[in-house]
Amino acid sequence: MASSGNKSINAKLVLLGDVGAGKSSLVLRFVKGQFIEFQESTIGAAFFSQTVAVNDATVKFEIWDTAGQERYHSLAPMYYRGAAAAIIVYDITNPASFERAKKWVLELQAQGNTNMVMALAGNKADLLDSRKVAAEEAQTYAQENGLFFLETSAKAATNVNDIFYEIAKRLPRLQPASNPSGMVLMDRPADRVANSSCCS
Amino acid sequence: MEKKRVDEHEVEPAAPVRVDRFGFVKQEQNSTEGLTGSRSASEYEREERRIRKWRKMIGVGGSDWKHYVRRKPHVVKRRIRKGIPDCLRGLAWQLISGSRDLLLMNPGVYEQLVIYETSASELDIIRDISRTFPSHVFFRQRHGPGQRSLYNVLKAYSVYDRDVGYVQGMGFIAGLLLLYMSEEDAFWLLVALLKGAVHAPMEGLYLAGLPLVQQYLFQFDHLGKEHLPKLGGHFAQEMINPSMYASQWFITVFSYSFPFHLAIRVWDVFLYEGVRIVFKIGLALLKYCHDDLVKLPFEKLVYALRNFPEDALNPDVLLPLAYSTKVSRSLEALKREYEKHNGKQAKAHVKPGQ
Ligand SMILES: Nc1nc2c(ncn2[C@@H]2O[C@H](COP(=O)(O)OP(=O)(O)OP(=O)(O)O)[C@@H](O)[C@H]2O)c(=O)[nH]1
Ligand SMILES: [Mg+2]
Repeated sequence: MASSGNKSINAKLVLLGDVGAGKSSLVLRFVKGQFIEFQESTIGAAFFSQTVAVNDATVKFEIWDTAGQERYHSLAPMYYRGAAAAIIVYDITNPASFERAKKWVLELQAQGNTNMVMALAGNKADLLDSRKVAAEEAQTYAQENGLFFLETSAKAATNVNDIFYEIAKRLPRLQPASNPSGMVLMDRPADRVANSSCCS
Repeated sequence: MEKKRVDEHEVEPAAPVRVDRFGFVKQEQNSTEGLTGSRSASEYEREERRIRKWRKMIGVGGSDWKHYVRRKPHVVKRRIRKGIPDCLRGLAWQLISGSRDLLLMNPGVYEQLVIYETSASELDIIRDISRTFPSHVFFRQRHGPGQRSLYNVLKAYSVYDRDVGYVQGMGFIAGLLLLYMSEEDAFWLLVALLKGAVHAPMEGLYLAGLPLVQQYLFQFDHLGKEHLPKLGGHFAQEMINPSMYASQWFITVFSYSFPFHLAIRVWDVFLYEGVRIVFKIGLALLKYCHDDLVKLPFEKLVYALRNFPEDALNPDVLLPLAYSTKVSRSLEALKREYEKHNGKQAKAHVKPGQ
């Protein structure tokens, strides 16, 4: 499965964030290059995959796009547990969604997977006229919490591929024994092949 | 790159959109035409005969229904399994679900809820309105009658039961109902289902912690292993579990991301026989695709479990397969087992006095 020359790894990635922040739209843009004005709300969670090439490696993202509503919160842990990366999405025109994003960050931090690469996406950056969350504020928050931050627009296709690419670059794939605490759920055969140099 | 604001897109020119027989805007490669296509004279006659039988069974305005069900429950069951005639579906659903009685017993209540009460969920509902069946002609027009009645039903329910409020997923159920009945009728059918007028209440699907979703997933997981041991083993190896693909089956009773012509057939049976049919359909899907699924690795599996091939979604294939799958006894046993493990937490959510 994993090719012998180039490094090829699978990385589980989860999207978290408020209802309507644009999680599904970001994935759809990244995976299919599309944007749908009236994207159906996500019930439960949806799954996608997409591969990016970084330097001499390819990273195949296994992407879980979760439902944003608070009520679905109890389903979220099974999607972020063991994830190598998370994109926390808010809507720059909606301050409440930014507060919600901060809560997600806290929850991920509390869960203690220090190797998880976390990105903060301020989405709908095309709606500049309705902006309610300043980029500087989000940037500062991200810095203080060890996330990297980009403003994105799924609609205008700005910074969407970039955010996934940045994540791929930051994956601690060269370090063996990543996130032992989170391996339980998602330690599938494919991963073991990819990480064959390590832990058993 | 257009800089238009979202709201400016609304005014739909009256350009003729091509829709299927249920009112969904057609995707070009849509090949389900076989299901709609022209019918032969004999098929037409058979359909006419079926409608006549149903009219007789229901009686004027539903007057004979209860009597008929009491006398011949098996005939009713058999006929429902063959599909309720579309022109009688709305009325039949209300009779089967017991919502007609609720409506009659509560005159004026719906109006009160819609007009005079306010709900904490109003903004949440609005945010989702244009994202519910966006490809259906009735719902796609911004602030059109479809979106307005969807909003009213959901808002009314969120006031009627403030513990449940509004939960994403309810919109698809309400939307499906609204294609067959008035707002007020749809509201009472929602009440009948969530409060359990005929079958076990569904509200646990939507309450905090989603207790009933958790229970159903547990049951489905075990049923899968019992009915399809080889596939169950493969899923275990690939770390696939039902919450990755089946939660929305239960949360929306197949009204989300399944072809509409299948969804309504499932609903016919669901209203009469209860949630059992959701388990049966789920198992039938796995069974139908079994030989492909056992070969797939994780990622392809997750994809396949959310994108079943069209032939698997043909109601005339899938439903008979579902009917032949027996689940009742196991379901009961698994429910007891689940409650033992989970200390009957589910019960803790039931409001006193409801
Ligand atoms: N203008 C603009 N609108 C966007 C953008 N991204 C998403 N939207 C719109 O915002 C709405 C919600 O987008 P979704 O992608 O469905 O949001 P979500 O976070 O997946 O929402 P849930 O699944 O309900 O949690 C849709 O109507 C999108 O068209 C963006 O970058 N710019
Ligand atoms: Mg979504």
